[in-house]
Amino acid sequence: MQPFVFPRWTNKLVPLAGAVLGIAPLYLIGLVWYAASPHTTDVGYAPEQPVPYSHALHAGELGIDCRYCHTTVTEAAHAAVPPTETCMNCHQRIHVRSPKLEPVRASAASGDPVEWVKVHDLPDYAFFNHSVHVNHGIGCTSCHGRVDTMEVVFQHEPLSMGWCLDCHRAPELHLRPPGEVTNMTYEAPAGLSQREHGQELRETFDINPPTDCSTCHR
Amino acid sequence: MSPIDGEPRFWRSLAEREEPETIAESPEFSEPVDPPTSEERRRFLQLSAASVALAGGAGCRWQEDRILPYAERAEGVVPGVPRYFTTAMDVGGEAVGLRVKSYDGRPIKVDGNSAHPDSLGASKHWHQASILELYDPDCASGYSRLEQGERRAATELELKVFLRNLYRTAKPNGGEGLCLLFGASSSPSRSDLLRRLQGKLPRARFFEHEPARQDGVSRGAQLAFGAPTKTHYALDRARIIVSLGADLFGARNDGLRLAREWASRRDPAQPWMNRLYVFESAMSDTGAAADHRVSLRSEHLKALAAHLDAALSSHLPPRPELGPPQPFPESRLLTESTMHEVVAALVQDLTSRPDESVVVAGEDQPAEVHAIVHRINALLGNRGKIVSHTAPAPPSVKTGSLTELGEAMGAGQVKTLVILDSNPVYTAPGDLDFGSLLAKVPTKIVCSLFLDETARYADWHVPMAHYLTAWGDVRASDGSISVQQPLIAPLYGGKSVIEVLALLSRDVHPGGEAIVKRTLRAAVADERAWRRAVHDGVVPGSGWPSVQRSPLPQPVLQLSTGERSGREFENGQLELTLAPDPRLYDGRFANNGWLQELPDSVTKLTWGNALMIGPATGKRLGLKDGKLAKLTLGERSLTVPVLFVPGQGPGAIRLYVGHGRTAAGRVGGQDLGDEQAAPVGVNAYPLVAAQLGFVSNARVEPAPGSAVLATTQDKHSMDRIGRFGTDERLPALVRQANLDEYREHPDFAPHRVHHPPLLSLWKEPVRYDGHKWGMSIDLNKCTGCSGCVVACQSENNIPVVGQERVAMGREMHWIRVDRYFQGDPEQPEAAHQPVPCMHCEHAPCEQVCPVGATLHSSEGLNDMTYNRCIGTRYCSNNCPYKVRRFNYFNFHEDMKEEKNQVKGMVFNPEVTVRFRGVMEKCSYCVQRIQEGKFRAGRENRPLQDGEVTTACQDSCPTQAITFGDINDPRSDIAAKKRDSRDYALLQELNVRPRTTYMARVKNPHPELV
Repeated sequence: MQPFVFPRWTNKLVPLAGAVLGIAPLYLIGLVWYAASPHTTDVGYAPEQPVPYSHALHAGELGIDCRYCHTTVTEAAHAAVPPTETCMNCHQRIHVRSPKLEPVRASAASGDPVEWVKVHDLPDYAFFNHSVHVNHGIGCTSCHGRVDTMEVVFQHEPLSMGWCLDCHRAPELHLRPPGEVTNMTYEAPAGLSQREHGQELRETFDINPPTDCSTCHR
Repeated sequence: MSPIDGEPRFWRSLAEREEPETIAESPEFSEPVDPPTSEERRRFLQLSAASVALAGGAGCRWQEDRILPYAERAEGVVPGVPRYFTTAMDVGGEAVGLRVKSYDGRPIKVDGNSAHPDSLGASKHWHQASILELYDPDCASGYSRLEQGERRAATELELKVFLRNLYRTAKPNGGEGLCLLFGASSSPSRSDLLRRLQGKLPRARFFEHEPARQDGVSRGAQLAFGAPTKTHYALDRARIIVSLGADLFGARNDGLRLAREWASRRDPAQPWMNRLYVFESAMSDTGAAADHRVSLRSEHLKALAAHLDAALSSHLPPRPELGPPQPFPESRLLTESTMHEVVAALVQDLTSRPDESVVVAGEDQPAEVHAIVHRINALLGNRGKIVSHTAPAPPSVKTGSLTELGEAMGAGQVKTLVILDSNPVYTAPGDLDFGSLLAKVPTKIVCSLFLDETARYADWHVPMAHYLTAWGDVRASDGSISVQQPLIAPLYGGKSVIEVLALLSRDVHPGGEAIVKRTLRAAVADERAWRRAVHDGVVPGSGWPSVQRSPLPQPVLQLSTGERSGREFENGQLELTLAPDPRLYDGRFANNGWLQELPDSVTKLTWGNALMIGPATGKRLGLKDGKLAKLTLGERSLTVPVLFVPGQGPGAIRLYVGHGRTAAGRVGGQDLGDEQAAPVGVNAYPLVAAQLGFVSNARVEPAPGSAVLATTQDKHSMDRIGRFGTDERLPALVRQANLDEYREHPDFAPHRVHHPPLLSLWKEPVRYDGHKWGMSIDLNKCTGCSGCVVACQSENNIPVVGQERVAMGREMHWIRVDRYFQGDPEQPEAAHQPVPCMHCEHAPCEQVCPVGATLHSSEGLNDMTYNRCIGTRYCSNNCPYKVRRFNYFNFHEDMKEEKNQVKGMVFNPEVTVRFRGVMEKCSYCVQRIQEGKFRAGRENRPLQDGEVTTACQDSCPTQAITFGDINDPRSDIAAKKRDSRDYALLQELNVRPRTTYMARVKNPHPELV
């Protein structure tokens, strides 16, 4: 029986394999760099909204609590965008002729919704619940940043799975007393680092966020 | 690892029992995905080029999403938090109360209303599937009328003008020539409106046609008591239950309640267990649950009823007021040794505890048999204890039958025909060519959900509002009234039947709500009571009045030659039973993919019907399983595929109506329009004489050709040592003992299989400190009704795959109900075993996934992460229980078309809709677990037992499924796991399934063991 002999053309494969092996690490680095870059994760995404609503003015300057508008945040998965009537509570008396508020007035008159553009958009296979986070002492700023300084709301954090898991694995870095969740400038009490403060809260409230797949994917 | 000798031997199909080597490996994986044809391939390339272009244009950000908040949010509405509303669904003239889950104004899931007497919280497959019907894009959309043979859209105003003119023309001559035809309905409002219409147009005529209804029960009550009477059974108080052809747990409206009551006495640890005797011509869910079951012909039951009457009269104290007893009938079947033994044991059982026994006759039995059975129950003295009677309200107007309408149409007396919620062109008996009669009627107005066979003739068509979109009122089997409330505006326009009647009769109240309020004003005093009734789903105290009835003396039953015969039969005198389909009913659900694809509980047949015939009978007639046959009844004949089914009586054959529709829609078949679809199954209505039931003059002959019968019975078999191990394997899967054996060895089940000590590959013990989810399924309670399968499909967005793919073993159901037979194929026993994912603690699937798409959670769930899955299917290969399902296609692709987008509304927003190429399986309804934990967390309290239920558990009429946290020692599930009957499937594999079973304990008569 003839022994198997590689055909002659296969000799060319050796330098080719060398070239591939040389490029592979570069390719890998490029891939990771690109996949984790803000461009991909959409950090900074700040779409134009139908109404130039300023959180900096309402939440910052005027100091309106987040829950005045996002009422469902403590009881539902969604921190629902408020109905038009919430806007009209004030704006039927304030800036009643402002052209910027025209879509709001149109909505109030017609009953059709104002079409806001979604900023924080998770993939459809990831299920996030606001109420469980807010009730356990995760502040709004942990995920949304300092909304009270944003003229136009933008995505502050990558909202990637790794980012979620960072906090689920070490929630003490973000915990605060549940009464302080909407406080935009909350800091750990004097003399305590956030880690120590969070650890204390974690033990008091028995907070053990799961990292199972089905926590978010169903 | 072999089971103890002398164990009962189970088998899944005749092929497996007789020629196991002929069962091919399931083609689920072996067949390639259908290669696209060259044309398809070109199209595919174009599409992919287009999507690349799109991707380039859109950049990296996915599609921009919009948030559309309410302009005004109603009080109590929280976006994204479901709300629940009660309503009720009427099928064939009686209704079951339901509770519907609505998500942001979009109903997505139907369950039973626990306050309703016919539901008790459970629901049937068609209740579950009605949500799919609501969003069916094939429903008739908008008013239309026929002009010069063409259907044109019309406006509501035009309809109103037309109906007003109709009324004005009819009024002067009292409505002469105006006829109304409707399906049966329990609606008090409809009765009231018909009475009002009759008052205004006294010469209008009314006709009722309910194809699935048989009149034996009502006529039998009339014979027995001399007045219309309804009979109700409280099976939870019965020790001995005898069914003479009655499918107690089947289609009947109180079937859910009867199943619950029966199951409440099936716990062998209780002081006593009931005993169920079933005599029937085809295996039913009731027969599968029976302690003693005899296959015979339905015609034999007359002699059996007479025999029971005679025997009980001689054993029990005389009751002269009931008249003379029946003489002992001459019946060859009753003299046969096995039958004789069973009947003797039955008589002994009935006479030892007469007042705790009950006999029920089947709906297809003649009136005389029902009358005798009423007499037997009176003899037993069970009235007030088990049997009770009520007097239903008489119909508000005189109604004729479809045959009478046909005569009037033939005689040209019908000038205007209004057909409400009925499809006589399809469902009329064979003698009546309703279509050509209808064509002669000058004006035809049809109100129906679909543009069906009848609606095609309509000069005016009014789309019927689905029951979830309209106000209405319906009655339960005991007469209790439920208010139906709309959960969403009618999707395709349209009106409910009562609204059409109100328009037709120029009623002062044209709106459904006002009509219902007016009808119920006596029962519902004020607005507060009304709101309570709408909220609770039942109007209190609205049931039929209870009456004391005593049977009248009955004449001696005359038995024909056939009724006196034994097991022998002749071709030409075969007993053909034509019955409503257990899934599609009279055919009204034919366009419902969930119901079409639901395997029948006994035959496991999906998509279509077949002539069901016992294997011995079939072989004697020269028939072959899966081949075609010519079925002849008198002068009419039909070519149908043959399906050998164990448990058919000798010479008894069975065919379901409700199939072979030609104008159902794109799922059930339609022969007009752009998207034609072949009929599914064979239409058996042409064989029906006057009503459904059995006839004894059928002939069956082999015919050339064969048919595709998509059964699931030999698919997904749990193999330990390959399919050749069936003999050893099956008794270990369904573990069963008699009550006496159980009392002696309460822990018989875990000891049924001997295996060497179990070694683990992993570090032991595995601990679960938080929740530890588990499920227990009580095989003693499962009747195999398959309601759980559709409930799961609805909850978990499971796609429908179609007949072809079911035949390849690629159905997607997350829970399947395995059905096993045992013993002689002519007189088999049957057992049902629901199989969801076992959530093994040492899950074999997890070990082989190359990408970590299926992993174990800290609470012991076997999680499936679709976004990681790359579709290697290794997990399914390695699953010993065969519970994993693979998406071979994107089954939602058709939703890209605008017309089909409405189908997306049925999806549960809490569950991912899977794409092609991913594996999926039962998740223990993890979305409900999460929601329960979130709720408890928000309220800062521990999760209560019973707070988290699975969809299958909710739908189960017998509460056979228990789910919960095994770590909570006071939970139901922990108690079930501690029970001595608890056993695991394939425990010898040491995969530690979290789903375990409660062994079956039968309660046979000691002399028949």
